[in-house]
Amino acid sequence: MKKSILSMISSGSRSINDPRELYLGLLYPTEDYKVYGYVTNTKVKFVIVVESSNTQLRDSEIRTMFKTLHNAYVSVMCNPFHVPGDNITSRSFEKVVSQMMVQD
Amino acid sequence: MTNNIISKLEQMGCRVGQSLAERFTRDSPRFGSELDIIKFICKEFWVGTFKKQVDNLRTNHLGVYVILDSRFKLLTHMSAGEQYLESAPKYLAFTCGLVRGALASFGINSVVTAEVSTMPSCKFQISIPKT
Amino acid sequence: MARQGGRATDPRKVSQELFTLTYGALVAQLIKDYEQDDEVNKQLDKIGFLFFACRGYNIGVRLIEDFLARSGIGRCNDFRETADVIAKNGFRMFLGITPQVTNWSAAGDEFSLIMDANPLADFVELPDDHNQLNYSNILCGVIRGALESVQMAVDVRFVQDILKGDNQTEIRVKFIKRLEDALPAGEE
Repeated sequence: MKKSILSMISSGSRSINDPRELYLGLLYPTEDYKVYGYVTNTKVKFVIVVESSNTQLRDSEIRTMFKTLHNAYVSVMCNPFHVPGDNITSRSFEKVVSQMMVQD
Repeated sequence: MTNNIISKLEQMGCRVGQSLAERFTRDSPRFGSELDIIKFICKEFWVGTFKKQVDNLRTNHLGVYVILDSRFKLLTHMSAGEQYLESAPKYLAFTCGLVRGALASFGINSVVTAEVSTMPSCKFQISIPKT
Repeated sequence: MARQGGRATDPRKVSQELFTLTYGALVAQLIKDYEQDDEVNKQLDKIGFLFFACRGYNIGVRLIEDFLARSGIGRCNDFRETADVIAKNGFRMFLGITPQVTNWSAAGDEFSLIMDANPLADFVELPDDHNQLNYSNILCGVIRGALESVQMAVDVRFVQDILKGDNQTEIRVKFIKRLEDALPAGEE
């Protein structure tokens, strides 16, 4: 699935019309999942995969999640012990991600 | 002052430049062109780093850009004299690294050099090879 | 661009971000060069100390002038007054924050500087293999250097560090002795 997501992003597949937006919107729906994309100016790609059965999650909430992830990523980059390109090992970042995934 | 120190300072600047670029573009819209990115460097990036914009930008539209900062903050505390000869190259190398690192974070490979004609006025030249 | 809270007139010439990130790059470079945490701690302390020894540095000279102006008679005779000047003038000029001066010893020769937030350490997460690193050790050198330039020998050390999991960052400053006027700061 990873290859097809990346090719979707590079080919400009998006459901959002404004090319100045970092949020790409829904990349494509599959039978089981909805895949959303977000690419920063610094070429960092975020992907959120949601079960198709989840109809609660609104577009505005997905946007907020991407913003939160983006902010957390910027903080990771500002840690002098982080080597750009390495896997992220930051506890703060993991906390942000896991808080997003907590279900009601 | 050995070349080793200059080179280390440039590398340090590069890493810092990457972080600054991430921070200062976090809320920016998507950049459309290389010129958009250079303008970002001249405005938001320079303001975010040195609390002022650059004073002039020139380009040959073939990948060479020259940034002029007529009151470069890292040099304003020096007079033209002995201190300049010893310390200025350090600050310039670090700053060239800042710019190179910032551009690298947008996927742009560049060579950045600096030149001081009259203190504290400083020119930074960015060369982006065309592939 | 977001403004940092409580710093309406920031006297520094470059942004907080540049300052903090450059310090981080310095620490990372020292780790590459010296590897061992305690060696890096020593280097950071030395760099902070040299900040006052070298006359070329603007902030160092300004701080000393501030000390002298404030005490009026040209010397900080009172250690309590010194502590105050370090916290209110020194830290504010260097870091943009004012730590609390507290935990005075009974003899009045030792105190703590307590910070809830440390701008040098913004966004820093210490990796597990560097748990002996006093990331902000440059502050100890700076305080030592500043006090030496007003003829006081002190011992300065970190006792708590937010980066190591403590609730606050605490630096302990202990007066050792008054220095003779023989040599100006920076000349050995």
